[in-house]
Amino acid sequence: MRGYVVKRLLIAIVTLVGMSMVIFSLMRLAPGNIVDIIFESAGYVDQADKRQLEHELGVDRPIPAQYVRWVGELVQGDLGKSYRYDMRAWRIIKPRLPVTLELAGLALLFSILLGVPFGVISAARQNRPIDYVLRVVSLAGLSMPSFWLGMVVILVLVRSLGWIPSVTYVSPLDDLRANLWQFVVPALAVGYRSSALIMRITRSAMLEVMREDYIRTARAKGQRGTLVVWRHALRNASLPVITLIGIEFAFLIGGLVVTETVFNLPGVARYLVDAIQFRDYPVVQNLTMFIAIVVVLANLAVDLLYAWVDPRIKYGRA
Amino acid sequence: MSLPLRRSVRIAPVALLLLVALCVPAPAQAPKSGGVLTIHPLSAPPSLSPHEESTIATVQPASACYSNLLYFDPAKRQESESTLIPELAERWSWQDNYRNLVFLLRKDVKWHDGKPFTSQDVKYTFDVVRGAPDAAAKLRVNPRKLWYENVEHIEAPDPHTVVFRLKRPQPSLLLMLASGYSPVYPAHVPLAELKTRCVGTGPFKLKDYRPGEFVELVRNPDYFVKGRPHLDGVKWVIIKDRSTQIAALQAGQLDVGGSGWNKANAETAKKGKPELVVQESDSNVNVNVLVNFQKGPLADARVRRAVDLALDRKAFKEGPMLGAATFGGAMLPRPAGVWGLPAAEVAKLSGMGDSTKQKAQARKLLADAGFGPANPLKLTVSTRAVAIYVDPASWMVDQLRQVGIDAVLEQIETGVWHPKMTRLDFQVALNLTGIGIDDPDANFYENFKCGSQRNFSGYCSEEIDKLIAQQSQTVDRVARLQLVNEIDRRLQADGARPVLGWQKQWAVHWPHVKAYPQHENSIYNVTRFQDVWLDK
Repeated sequence: MRGYVVKRLLIAIVTLVGMSMVIFSLMRLAPGNIVDIIFESAGYVDQADKRQLEHELGVDRPIPAQYVRWVGELVQGDLGKSYRYDMRAWRIIKPRLPVTLELAGLALLFSILLGVPFGVISAARQNRPIDYVLRVVSLAGLSMPSFWLGMVVILVLVRSLGWIPSVTYVSPLDDLRANLWQFVVPALAVGYRSSALIMRITRSAMLEVMREDYIRTARAKGQRGTLVVWRHALRNASLPVITLIGIEFAFLIGGLVVTETVFNLPGVARYLVDAIQFRDYPVVQNLTMFIAIVVVLANLAVDLLYAWVDPRIKYGRA
Repeated sequence: MSLPLRRSVRIAPVALLLLVALCVPAPAQAPKSGGVLTIHPLSAPPSLSPHEESTIATVQPASACYSNLLYFDPAKRQESESTLIPELAERWSWQDNYRNLVFLLRKDVKWHDGKPFTSQDVKYTFDVVRGAPDAAAKLRVNPRKLWYENVEHIEAPDPHTVVFRLKRPQPSLLLMLASGYSPVYPAHVPLAELKTRCVGTGPFKLKDYRPGEFVELVRNPDYFVKGRPHLDGVKWVIIKDRSTQIAALQAGQLDVGGSGWNKANAETAKKGKPELVVQESDSNVNVNVLVNFQKGPLADARVRRAVDLALDRKAFKEGPMLGAATFGGAMLPRPAGVWGLPAAEVAKLSGMGDSTKQKAQARKLLADAGFGPANPLKLTVSTRAVAIYVDPASWMVDQLRQVGIDAVLEQIETGVWHPKMTRLDFQVALNLTGIGIDDPDANFYENFKCGSQRNFSGYCSEEIDKLIAQQSQTVDRVARLQLVNEIDRRLQADGARPVLGWQKQWAVHWPHVKAYPQHENSIYNVTRFQDVWLDK
């Protein structure tokens, strides 16, 4: 097991190095650079000033040198300076991380709490009215983009209640209740789509497992139906569900742009789009690396969970 | 039926009192102190330093923190020389036939960090902004250096006197100094710090600033105007999505909305909450067409004229502008503007006449230039990939197609837009231009002078340049207006930068917001907020 974890960590490091190169190169391939943007949107270009700024920001150096410098700083925990805001990138990124993590975490929690039980019920009551209802609900969840749902929810809330979640971020450390009120609606809007996905995967995995001999044996031995479904069938059907949850979490970390925008949550994803527009390389590179690390770690956690869920899976042996 | 005499006599005094009560205006409500005004800016400010930025998104929150030497009276809807009020300067006077501008400064002003304000701060600020060789610091980016090109020297003979010595007379300098883009900076605070930390002398002090999230200001108890501000604070909440801005206003999370809204947005907000107060006014932002004078098919004057004629201004107003626009030339039209062409002349500008006839004329011009159904002119209409640009640009494509031009729309990402325009890397483009102050110098030098970096069309006329310089130093207002109108006429005749229309602006607020200022010829100089109060 230890060997497996070490091996996976090494692969993760190689993956992250590869990703850092891709992220770095893609940013440089996009037309336009921050110095042009800063000067030319101001309508005033003094070539000497421009060269000085390029030098100050380090964008006049050869691209490989810029890459080495960035990675070197990153290893030392220095995220560099935001070109756009002229302040340490960490000062901008730091307050955004808890916002996105909280939104993604809550959305995932809702999606699991809704998706798994509904998937199990739907499978256990296959082709009965409750199954049809849940399948329609899940299809609706998959068909409605979360940002659209978010907008509709806001419109309905403001029309019917004259209330919407706070448009200014409330930290849970300042006011937990207000924070939860602020996050519950966007998390439900995002979590609904994920829950629909989880429900469908749970249902199909459950249907497959419930046709297995050992389930029939358990029933023949007189075990109660609910016990068979929730203890034996669900545990064996959970591997694809866990995989999906891992993928969904990784997706949520970087994929909340519109939800964060609609609900005015100052998270990572919304800021990332702004930073790309302004070619704010340090911010984009570091935020994208953060997302990449979350994805890699989520995948690693999922792989490790397999062994715990399914004892037949052993690591480190041929 | 008539009333008995005695009864009529009894009723008469009551009726008289009622009549008097109805005729006499109610006494103005006394402003109340307290409360925090919550409002959204146009977009996220890139910094809090107005001298380093060219976006209203910075001026909006930073204005309440700073003071100018003089400012436009917030209560007067039209900005002009006659509406200037003193701020850091108690008095000012022109001397030596408008060659020297002398300011006598207030003696009771402190910076937010407690240090005294002196004439050295004024000299420092404007030496920095004009890029003086001996300036004590240098701005990383200096967008308005051009405004102060005519300043030869700034002197601070004593702590409360400043003298601007000019190369030639320039009455516009006063107005430029009153702009929201011209606050006085503290000489003792490094410029780089002012990008994230505001140390001013204005009615509000910075409490907290989180980039992309909010700017929070609190009352400055040492503000030099006694009894001001009325508010305890101002919170600028950055809300990117327009429907969220509207919902936040309707839900009472914002006191004021409207920055960057169109007519439909204001109407939607009002429809949801009829008690909201909607202030509509003109603005000094115009939608214009950039035609590339230097390369491509539009280097041909006939093609430029055809494009100008093809664009039906009345259809533009009713279409993408939803009926909310005014027509004019290069200067904001009167009566909202001070320097615009007379209405009778505006009515005769290109695109203002009978649409069918003008489109026929456009087709003929295109034919003369060698384009027709067998050989249509192919044009790419470039615009910024932002809704307020894309909507009119799409309309423009349709108008051009109506005269047989094979037009296609090219949306350009914001990060590439200005560099592309500066390089004249386009054929024809739809652009929005906001002018800091309604003043010919601020507009002409920047947008029409040969070689100016914001002269995105590449238009150049030595004759026009001479007239621009001439009007700039003309002290007599009537004579100057004639010159400005003459320049405008020629610019329109040359199709230098055809204006489709001047935008309207909206401020939508709850009734408890009182004395909320709105100027009809500027969007830049209204957010000091010292007189605003909340009736809660």
